[in-house]
Amino acid sequence: MIATIARKEFLEIVRDGRFKWTAALMVLLLVTSLLAGWQRFNSYSQIQATAQGSTNTQWLKQGDKNPHTAAHYGNYAFKPLGPLAFFDSGIVNYAGTAVFMEAHKQNFPIARPATDTSAVARFGELNGAMILQVLLPLLIIFLGFTAFSGERETGTLRQLMSMGVSRGSLLWGKAAGIAAAVLLVVLPCLAVGALALAATGLQTAGGGIWTRVALIGGAYLGYAAVFLFLTLAVSAWANTARAALMALVGFWAFTAFIMPKTAAEVSRLVEPSPAFGTFMAEMKEHQKRGIDGISPRIRIAEYRGELFRKYGVSRVQDLPLYWTAVSMQKLEELDHPVFEQHYNAVRDEYAQQLRLQDRLGVLAPLLPLRSISMTLSGTDLIQHNKFMAETEVFRRNMVLKMNTYLSQAAANLNGVNSATNYMVANEDVFAIVPPFRYEPPALRDIVASQAGNFTLLAGWLLAAIALALVAVKRMSLERN
Amino acid sequence: MYRLIISHETRSLARTGALWAILALLVFAIGFAAFAGGRAIARQARGAADAVAFENGERAKMRQDTEAYAAEVAASGGTYEFATVNHVPGRGPPQGTNAGVVGAETAAYVALPPTGLAALSIGQSDVQLNYLPASMGTTLDMIKNLETENPVNLQTGPFDIAFVVIFLLPIFILAMTYDLLSSEKERGTLAMILAHPVSLRELMASKIVARATVILAVVVGFGLLALLSVGTQLDQAETWLRFALWIVATLLYSLFWFSLAVLVNVYGKSSATNGTILAGIWLILVVVVPTLVSLLATTLYPAPSRMDLIVAAREAQTAGEKNMGSALDRFYSEHMDQVPTGDQRAMDFLTLAQANAANIEQALLPLYEQFREQSLHQEGLVQRFQYLSPAIMMQLALNEISGTSTARYQDFLDQAFRFRGQWNDFFASRFLKREPLRPEDYDQFPSFSYVPEPLATVLGRLATSLAGLLLVCAGVTLLPFAGLRRYQVAAR
Repeated sequence: MIATIARKEFLEIVRDGRFKWTAALMVLLLVTSLLAGWQRFNSYSQIQATAQGSTNTQWLKQGDKNPHTAAHYGNYAFKPLGPLAFFDSGIVNYAGTAVFMEAHKQNFPIARPATDTSAVARFGELNGAMILQVLLPLLIIFLGFTAFSGERETGTLRQLMSMGVSRGSLLWGKAAGIAAAVLLVVLPCLAVGALALAATGLQTAGGGIWTRVALIGGAYLGYAAVFLFLTLAVSAWANTARAALMALVGFWAFTAFIMPKTAAEVSRLVEPSPAFGTFMAEMKEHQKRGIDGISPRIRIAEYRGELFRKYGVSRVQDLPLYWTAVSMQKLEELDHPVFEQHYNAVRDEYAQQLRLQDRLGVLAPLLPLRSISMTLSGTDLIQHNKFMAETEVFRRNMVLKMNTYLSQAAANLNGVNSATNYMVANEDVFAIVPPFRYEPPALRDIVASQAGNFTLLAGWLLAAIALALVAVKRMSLERN
Repeated sequence: MYRLIISHETRSLARTGALWAILALLVFAIGFAAFAGGRAIARQARGAADAVAFENGERAKMRQDTEAYAAEVAASGGTYEFATVNHVPGRGPPQGTNAGVVGAETAAYVALPPTGLAALSIGQSDVQLNYLPASMGTTLDMIKNLETENPVNLQTGPFDIAFVVIFLLPIFILAMTYDLLSSEKERGTLAMILAHPVSLRELMASKIVARATVILAVVVGFGLLALLSVGTQLDQAETWLRFALWIVATLLYSLFWFSLAVLVNVYGKSSATNGTILAGIWLILVVVVPTLVSLLATTLYPAPSRMDLIVAAREAQTAGEKNMGSALDRFYSEHMDQVPTGDQRAMDFLTLAQANAANIEQALLPLYEQFREQSLHQEGLVQRFQYLSPAIMMQLALNEISGTSTARYQDFLDQAFRFRGQWNDFFASRFLKREPLRPEDYDQFPSFSYVPEPLATVLGRLATSLAGLLLVCAGVTLLPFAGLRRYQVAAR
């Protein structure tokens, strides 16, 4: 019985004029966006790999110089992307793609592509994720809002029920019919996307790429099903087809456009983050003041005393380590807790903001889906934070290695006349700093971080199905 | 007759819950957007103020040192001398006497002041920092940093009044008008009404006027309230001119959506079909076309990668360094505190460091020009394609009116770069001549004052978008009234 209803629903939709138009538009946009995303990802990855290779060489070939000066010259880390970025570019355009790693300073990521685009880019980026998040639900609404309300208006609903169809099987049949019509549009496009992915991504993907694809696919399927059952529920509930349409389009606009921005503003309100100028001024003041209120100058003097006692000497000249290098490393380490406090505060504020936005997903199923999609595509905040954290690990190691080398190699220069008071290192010394490598977080951790969002989405699905069942049970067969 | 129908329509509208629900949502959205926009602008202003205060504090300390030193010199009868770079504190002249140190180690922040309407349309102002540090480094050092804002929120975009007007207002308008004639026809009341001495055109016009009056009164009224609650420069005539333009743009944009609903109604399909068609058109004009235009702009004229720019800058830096005197000079370049008093090489070094920055700047200039060129191409393309969607025209217009457009920012950048040149020259010339900075010289430091663009320039840029809106509006308004002739008033 369900199969018969599904076939009837499917044929009716596919033969309708609105299906042809919406399907054509959908296919056009989805294929365009996937191909454009594919081209962008390839171009980005190529530039990123070349740039990282070039800076690694530049570090080694920076010319003979003092190791500490080399640490000032520093190195750049360019953020690599996983292949699924072609489908969901997430925060890539807004998060910064490069970090300068230098002595004495932790830096924010720079080079955000969003700064080099026209204002019209703020309407959003046309990518696969955006189409499935925003346009797919509307397609489902357009195809399904007359499912019950239309039949009621034309009087066929009563006829149908008189033939002994159970209300449950009517719901499932209609759901299957609409789903088949939607999949008819979406699946071929996604096949194109999968081919594009297979053509480029696999060598850079690492493990678990198809697991990611399956999880993303499952999440989007669940999201689409939420809208399918909500559409059927409202269609059964509403008095007229146009009332059903109004309610559904209203909910769609609410979840796709109003809620994401509202959630962002609310999260900013609850957990504000400082402006750039404020952040920098506060951090620099704190650096000068010292983490615990004792200025670095005093700390360095204390440290010199410690070293004197440790080595049983009373003059810098007698120290077995090059004091300049040792003191610079000490200064560096005095700054570490200050950096941690300030940068981690910002990082945590962002994370709190996102958590709050995810939780507001109880009002709009788009919010948990958006996070799942970005995270599994490797273009989210978690991975951005991991990238930043790894650049800081690299930076500290680079500075430590250079200062330590200098402190030992120049030990004989303590107190020596300034004209000869420097040492020069070459490429071999710079090579003790291994090149920057970014290891994306393990798939297991990523999936675990999204457990709440998956639960929320599952909750939405169950609620939508329950709502549809109740609505169909109570559905009146006549307009009232 | 018009008056009678309008008052009847208004009264019957007032009796439906839908109108009040829509108006309540609209008022709430405007209020929330004004609040959020006001906070965003205040945050920017605070960031700028904190950055300025910090750098000014640094310079004030240097000045205090020079004052103390000047007093000491005057008391002891010695000569006021030029400090070498960062010697041991407590001996000799303070750092504040060295123009090279003051100019390179402190920055003068230049700021683009927001217009009185900035909170209404955030535009690109959240990704284009409106306060930039000018120092003796390179131009690119000025513009590398951005606002420390959650990238997720940047990607989502602000909930500002421009969003309410461009995205939500059409939805509210369409919700009130999608069944303008079709519902009366479906209920069978349309034929009855037309049995009275009233034409379909009169009826239609009255229905639109009734709805438009209500919605626009709310938009303009609450828009004004929003402006009053967040406005920064309400005392200026220009703010009010900008607000008037904002109202004109909003009226035109609203008129377009009202007329579109009429146009679809004239084709005489069922309410449900009208709703579907209008929702589809909204989606295409407000979401699909703008994102496609953006895709087209960035695909045809992709900005060169900033990653390439960074690599090129380092290439130039290395080349410059390899030309620099000796390894010692290089070491001192990072550690001026290690330079002993009176070390001539340290002085030479700062001179060289200056030359080095100039080298990098020279090498990067062509690349930077490429950025600007591509960005101009992109803007040009968007300007040409904006006529495809009233939403794009409206966004460009609102950004221009609120002073958050890319063009205004580019003009600010030009001024900021010129100022960096002045700042650099002021300190470099004194430094190279080894002229000690005296306390009173601190009053002579170049200071930045933003020169607003002439209003005519702003209006000129605005004119294209507004004219486009007007044209589209006129087209969509006239079409349905011509088509009404053939309207079928009763179901067949």
